[in-house]
This record gives sequence, C-alpha cells and structure tokens, in this order.
Amino acid sequence: MKTRINVRQICFIMLAYNVVSKLLTFPTALSFFCGRDLLFPALFNFIIEGIVLWGVSFLCSKTDKTFFGLLEGTIGNIGARIVYGFFAVFFLFAALLPIFEQELYVHTIFYDTVPSLVVFLPLFIFTIYAGSKKFENIGRCADICLPVFLTTMAVIFLMSFSGVKWDNLLPVLSTPAKTIFQGAAGTAYSFTAPCWLLMFMGHFKYKKHDATKITLSYVAGALIVLLFLATFYGIYGEIAGSRTFAISRTSIYFPGIDMLGRIDLIMLYVLETVMLFALVLNIQLAVHAISVCTGWDKLPYISLIVNVALATVLITCDNLYHSIQGLYFNWLWIMFIVFSVLVPSLAWLLKRRTE
Amino acid sequence: MKKRINVSTVSVVVYWLFFLALLGLYFTNDFGLVDIHKTAIITAVGIDTAENEVQVTAEIAIPQPSQSGENIKYTQVQGSGVTIADALNEINAKTGFYPKLQFCKLVLLGDSCKDKQLFRLLACFYRKNFSELTALVAMCEGNAADMLAMKSDTSDMTSEAIRKVLSDEIEKSANATPATLKDIAQLGYSKSAACYMPYVEASEPGTSENGGDGDNVGGDGGNTGESESGGSQSGSGSQGGGEGGSGGGGAGSAQSGSTGGETPMQFNARKTAIFSQGEFKGILNEQQAFALAAIENDIRLAVLPCDADGVHYTIGMKNVKCGVSLKVNDGVPALTVKFTAKAQINGAKKQIEPNKILLDDAIPDEVLSGAEEALKERFSDLITTCREENCDLIGIKDLLYKYNTKYFEAFEGDILTRMEVKYEVKIESVA
Repeated sequence: MKTRINVRQICFIMLAYNVVSKLLTFPTALSFFCGRDLLFPALFNFIIEGIVLWGVSFLCSKTDKTFFGLLEGTIGNIGARIVYGFFAVFFLFAALLPIFEQELYVHTIFYDTVPSLVVFLPLFIFTIYAGSKKFENIGRCADICLPVFLTTMAVIFLMSFSGVKWDNLLPVLSTPAKTIFQGAAGTAYSFTAPCWLLMFMGHFKYKKHDATKITLSYVAGALIVLLFLATFYGIYGEIAGSRTFAISRTSIYFPGIDMLGRIDLIMLYVLETVMLFALVLNIQLAVHAISVCTGWDKLPYISLIVNVALATVLITCDNLYHSIQGLYFNWLWIMFIVFSVLVPSLAWLLKRRTE
Repeated sequence: MKKRINVSTVSVVVYWLFFLALLGLYFTNDFGLVDIHKTAIITAVGIDTAENEVQVTAEIAIPQPSQSGENIKYTQVQGSGVTIADALNEINAKTGFYPKLQFCKLVLLGDSCKDKQLFRLLACFYRKNFSELTALVAMCEGNAADMLAMKSDTSDMTSEAIRKVLSDEIEKSANATPATLKDIAQLGYSKSAACYMPYVEASEPGTSENGGDGDNVGGDGGNTGESESGGSQSGSGSQGGGEGGSGGGGAGSAQSGSTGGETPMQFNARKTAIFSQGEFKGILNEQQAFALAAIENDIRLAVLPCDADGVHYTIGMKNVKCGVSLKVNDGVPALTVKFTAKAQINGAKKQIEPNKILLDDAIPDEVLSGAEEALKERFSDLITTCREENCDLIGIKDLLYKYNTKYFEAFEGDILTRMEVKYEVKIESVA
C-alpha cells in the first residue's frame, strides 16, 4: 500500500472541512424549517453520520485495501468500476450546490455592488488545478487549513457572543417531531464525511486508535457546528430563517464594528480559503472516482472536463439557486442518504481478505 | 520522422490559455469596483407617508476631492412611490447609488407613519440581503424629511447628530431605548408581537424647559423641546410633500448645513414610540421609557431624580441589574420586576457642605427609600401603559411561551391583565 495521506490530515479534514461546509445556508435552512429547534435535526444527522464514520474508520483497521479493492474482491472489477462511476456522479452533485452557494455568498457579502457572474468564474482556475492533484495535496492543504480555520472561527465566535440571547432557543422541542425529521432529511446534502473516508481507505496507514481519533475529530467539528447554530439563532431568533449566509451575519453586531467598520470581513476572507478547499475536496474525489472508474489516469484532463461541466451548469442555471436547493432538499437527500449512510455501512459486507 | 506531441506540455499550454481567458473576463468588470465619485452613498433614510404613497428622503454622502479635512458633503434627495423600493429606485435614478443600503445607519420614520402598518412600511429592508439589519430605527416628531434637513452643531451630518442620541453610551444610561432593524423584527415577530423605537425630538439650543425639580439629567421633564416642534419645519430646502422632483437632485433636495435650517438644532430621544402587531400604540414619556430601558438594556450608570424629606436628590446608580421573570403559581401568573443597584448622591437641592461631601457615599435610608419608590412608580407606570394599550413591550407572552409553555395557550389572550405584579427594588449605598 502506498501511503498518500496520513491520519492527522484526515482528522483535520473531518474537523475543519466538516464545519466550513455547513456555515453558509445550512443554519438558515434549519432555522427556516425547524425554528428554535434547529439543533435537533443537525444533532440527529451528526449522530447518524458519526456512527457511520466510526464504522468506516474501524473498517480501515481490518483491511489495508482501498474501497475499490474491497469492491473488486467482492463484485468484480467491472462492478467496482460501476460503483465508482456512481460515486463520481455523487461527488459532482455534492460539489454543485456549494458552488452555487459560494457564488451567491461572494457576490452578496464581499461586494457592495451587484457584480456579474463573470467575477466568480476565475474560481474554476483554482478548482481545475486543485482537482488534478492527488491525495497527497489534499492532505497538505488540510494541514494548512486547520490553524487558519481554528483562528478565524475563534475570532468570529468571540465577536458573535456579545449579541446572543440564549433563551431564543427556548422552549426546547416545541417543533413537531415530523418537522424535525423533515429538516434532518432535507439537509442531509450537507453530510458527506463517510464518503470522504471511504475514498481515503487504503491510502493511509492505519494505526491503533486511529478510528477513535478520526471519530473524535468529527465530533469536535460537530460540536463547533452546533455551537454556531445556537449562536446564530440566539442572535436572530424568529427572523433567523430569513438571514442567509449565516457565517457573515453573526459577528456584525460586535460593538467595535460600529467604530472600526467590518473588521470581521478580514476573518471571513481568510475563512473563505478554507471553504474553497472544502468545496474542492468533492471535486478532487469526483476526479479520483472517474479516474478509477475509467482507468484513465490523466487527472488534469478529467479535472478540466469535470469543471467545465460544473461551470456550464453554474452559467446556465445562474439565478436558479433556490430551485436547485429545493431539488436537493426535496429529492436529492435520498441520494445523499444512500451514498453517505447506506453504502459506507454496507462496506462491512465486502470481502476484506483475498482468497 | 514525425515528432510526437508532448501531452504534458500541451496541458500546461491549455491551462494557461484558459487562465488568461478567465483573467480577461475578470478584468472586463473592473474588479467589480465602483468609482465613488460616480455614485452616492446613502447614510440615512427618512420615511414619510402621504395618501397611498411613501416618500423617502435619503441623506447622501458626496465625497469631494479636497486636500483639507472637509471633503465630504451631505445632501438630501427625495423619491416617492407605492413602496420604499419604488422611492429608492427614484433616488437611484437621481443619484446613481447602488441598490443596496449597506452604509445606511439610520432609518427615521416621520409622524405620518403612525397610521401605517410598521412591517409593511419597513418590509423592503428585510428583503434578502438588501441591507444589514444593523441600522438604527427611530420615529421622529414631524416629518422625517424635515428632521434630516435640519442643521446640527454637533455634526455636519444630521443623521450622525441624531445617532449620537441613540448611541450605545446613551443606551447604557437608560436615557434612550435604541433599536435596530433586527431588534424591531425580532420583537415584532416574537410571541409578544410588540416592539419599540426611540422617538426623536428636536429643539433649538437654549430652549430647554425648566425640567422637574432641577436635577433632571436622568429623568423628569427637561429637554424634551416639545414646544419647539416648529423648529422641525425649518428645513426650507425640503418639502415634506415633495414628489421627488425633477433631475439634479430635484425638488426636495437640500444641502445639509447650508440650507437645511438657519438655526442649529439639538436632538434628544428620551421618549419611546411603541407598537403592537405592527400598529402604532403611543409614545412612552421619559419616565416610562427609562423603566423600559432599565428592563431591556444593560445599564452601566443611570441617573434617577427622587425626593426625600422634602429635598430633591439626584441619585447616580451603578452596577444596575434589572430584569423580569414570570412564574405561574396555582394557576395565577405572577410577574416579578427585580432591580438592584449601588447608588451615590450626584446632586441635591440644598446647600453643599464641603466637609460632608466625603460622607455622601453613605446615603441616608430615607433617600434610598425615596429612590426605590420613584423606581417602583416608573415600573408600575410602564406596566399600566402596557395593559391599557394591550402592548406587551416587556415580552411577557414571550416569557410565558419560553418558560411556562404549558400555560401559553390558556393565558396568551389576557396575561397582561390577569398577571399579578411584584416589584423587588433594592438600592444600596456604594459605601
């Protein structure tokens, strides 16, 4: 087995990328559907995903094969390639909505004007380049991102706490259970961590207690997200469901901002880099899955094709964000449950030893 | 021999071509930058209504090329329409401001807005990403357009002069009840469905009424300038009923500081306008507003006039802790208003004895009792108004929903009249 990424870097991904991928529209969507009980659908998803993630990381301790190797040993080479083809499509869908979110976020928060879509397209310079890189680069990026992430989040939290009214979250569980489950299912598109680990399987050397480390990193990330959700709702209360791009809305009531201007934007700009690396991870994994599926190892070309496809969808469906989000919320969550929960759970059924 | 194409070289070339193409697209937008000399920055808006129309007056900052310190001018431009968005669009046509209100720090509602639904009027500001909800909101005496056109001697920018009396520091002294767009929506859409905002009044310098018993910094009467409402009409350049006018700033365009008013005006916001279900319910006087501010805000240093043994005292209060709690005991809702503070004498209407000043920190019990009574009276007065106007300003229904949920449906309708009220006011000497 060739080690391409190490456990420390996977832990960083589970901590940082797991959080930043849930800071833009996820809190708003949960506030809109579940109101003051927004923590519970998120907690439900985190528990389910955390268990699956622990299962996958524990599976890594039982075999040094890659996920493709496990599939190949069980359902044959063609079957394994087909499954990877499905995963490639899944990762493309997992990357698509965040790209739309990023476009709206950048245009809305970083510009006082109304910029055109063209301003956002240079993002694809970065995603084409990053998408053509292998797992080693994903790990190195995570190494860089973690301290950046921790610093910026700490500052943003410090700037946000002064405006929080924690009793906005009361009374607890006043929302019907059905609505909470609908909120949990509808926002399942933000939960893809087990699939990331499935792709990393066999590309890192498992040591004792690594499953615990990975799971605890994920739990730490989950706690940060829950704290952020509580902070967001604590600040906005009943109107939280109408405030999009939550991460840029919480620190705005910091008393110093009135005098110094939007100094929190510095932190948001820096955090944006981590968000971009988290966004590009799904593209990198899509490229990887296509490469394995087709046996074509020219990653730059695959990355170019994948990104052109994503850019085409972005350009043609610009202004349709809410329809697309509705599609994810109402229907595509099923796909995310299948690929993020069912398939990683079923991975235990695959043959771990070569006969 | 035919030379083979080097794939890696081609890929690098393709990549750079793509990079340059996208870079070209990037530059076509001038980085999305805006030349501020070709646009306008709205720093405040005033809203008046007439018939079925909304008249919006925007205070606009105009950067001037200058090597001296004075390089920004402020002017007012009006627009009108069925909605605020219509009016802002007209202002955009006149000034070229970008259709976002990111720099708007004050929303001033004129007296004419009293008979309009608040959240229908302000809806525009809550639309997605149109403005951050940090702008202060206040209602003003007379027309908002007139008030924004007044001249102030505390700032060249009238809205800034108004914002001075709505500042965090004022809030900490309970002399005003500032509210942002976010606060108003949060309160208005809570279970209590009631909200409040400061009521701004203008007065000419030197026209302060002799307030209360003299030491009236913290409360009684004083600088309300009620008799000076005529002053609010002195903004000659701005006509309240203006249709937005023609080009070049149009009718209703006035340059603050030069034509906005001959006499510099002073502002205060010690009264509070109150709303229930978005409908205007009245104006709290200074004492009621003080009580509301004490309950709702974190007070650092408040000043309270009171009488004891026939002498008027002005008490300075520190370490103020004030709040309300609601409990349901044997099916009867009971509201408790708690107030604790450390106090010292700031002033007294009697001859000073220098050798006793050092002992002032130890306040006589009768003065403390007088202060406690004065406070109870203010809280009681506020709650009476809430009951009379059926306006749940202090969030009692919200408390019922959050902390006594099972009683919410039963008491929601008449909790304001049904509840018992208990006051626990404790003021102690600093020493």
